[in-house]
Amino acid sequence: MAVPVHAPRINNNDDLVKVVSLPVPVGIAVARGGVLAQVETDKAIVDVECPDDGYVISQVAQVGDVVAVGSVLLWLGRSADEAAPATAEPASPTALEGSARSGTGPTARARLLLQRHGLAPDAIPISADRLTAEDVERYLAARDSSGTPSIGDASFRQARPAANRPDIDGELHELSGNERGVLRTVTWSRDFAVPGYIEIEYDHGAWESHAAAFSTQHRLMLSPMLALMAWRLVQLASETPRLNSTIVGESRYEYRSVNLGFTVQAEDLLYLAVIRDAAALAEARFVTAIADVQRRAVAHKLAHDELSGATVSFSSMGRWNVSRHVPVLPPFTSLIVAQARSKSGASVLGATYDHRVLSGFQVAKALHQIGKPPTSVDRPESKS
Amino acid sequence: MSEEQSEIEALIKQRIAEICAAMGEDASVLDADTLIPASGLIDSAGLLELLAWYEQRFGIDLAPEDITIDNLGTLRQMATFAIARRRARVTTTPTGDH
Repeated sequence: MAVPVHAPRINNNDDLVKVVSLPVPVGIAVARGGVLAQVETDKAIVDVECPDDGYVISQVAQVGDVVAVGSVLLWLGRSADEAAPATAEPASPTALEGSARSGTGPTARARLLLQRHGLAPDAIPISADRLTAEDVERYLAARDSSGTPSIGDASFRQARPAANRPDIDGELHELSGNERGVLRTVTWSRDFAVPGYIEIEYDHGAWESHAAAFSTQHRLMLSPMLALMAWRLVQLASETPRLNSTIVGESRYEYRSVNLGFTVQAEDLLYLAVIRDAAALAEARFVTAIADVQRRAVAHKLAHDELSGATVSFSSMGRWNVSRHVPVLPPFTSLIVAQARSKSGASVLGATYDHRVLSGFQVAKALHQIGKPPTSVDRPESKS
Repeated sequence: MSEEQSEIEALIKQRIAEICAAMGEDASVLDADTLIPASGLIDSAGLLELLAWYEQRFGIDLAPEDITIDNLGTLRQMATFAIARRRARVTTTPTGDH
């Protein structure tokens, strides 16, 4: 049965989003977690991930469309030749007939205003049993007075690049995919999270001993220390769902699985490689999985779905002997832990956290737990 | 030791020296049987760089289980492993002869 994929709400103020990419053509298979679309508001670009394995069987929206939040972007099927529903919902906000809130829909004058301003009918509070021109005008007046332009506002779209460009002569260069990802991350962190930072010193020697023993036992080529620290974080995130959550609206959204993001530097690029459902892996398999994504990241061979979907993250700048490393929260996460070790030997574990979700006490407690390598008593039974 | 073995060891040592030099380390002391990860010359990030080069240079696809100190721990082991993989590839590649 065909499954619709809807335009997500990126933030509370934007009821419209712009479709900036649809990377999977009709008829092509896509795995759960793969990126089906990217949509943008004036604050951020987010990936629309595939909810389940399937095939793209119909694209309702097109790149460049400005669509209403909640409208159907595309349809997924179990096979490439499955038919999309004939009554597929329109994605365009200009296709206004059949508002979900009213059997009669907006009045003709209201429809005209909605089209003129590129608005979705569902975005506007109605004062009676159907949307009227007065409702739209009231909404526009309130929006304009707030000084918050919408992405659907043509004059704003035209004005924005000029407003951001310096007066000094220069030339624009398109960002690479990796640079756009970094921009998306820092923009999400700036616009949505309320970041805090805490750090503790930890016993590096104890972790080195633990990692050396593990390495000898498993005949490893690469030091497993950072992977083992990340594994400790995975365990904590699994035991404490708050660490593995984010804010949606005014609710806390706890992820069902722990997808561990692990930063890997490859020349000048920084990847956040993602191990999905990491808590389901046994410790040794997790360490192998981290080594595998690290190696493939260095060779620039990570698959797209290995670069998105982190729910909690771990980073290290131990190689660079920095004394402090304050990482930026990846989108839709509330915790990233960072290891650093200065030239003088001071070893610290820091964490950037979203204060909307976590308190400093909760983060400090987690850091102290990560700071101590597990004893044999702490270790869970081996999983296959 | 075969000529092929010594040539490959020299190539790998040269690459390690380049990686180490970038981090301010001198790898000239590395001999064929020194355990590379335990040498203190090259860190994990450097080893990852070395492995990526090794795969590309010798046309080898390493599986995660290949990456052990028993297979790749020393210059000698890395060269032996590369030669073995080359030979395995030659013997399993169809030639079209009947």
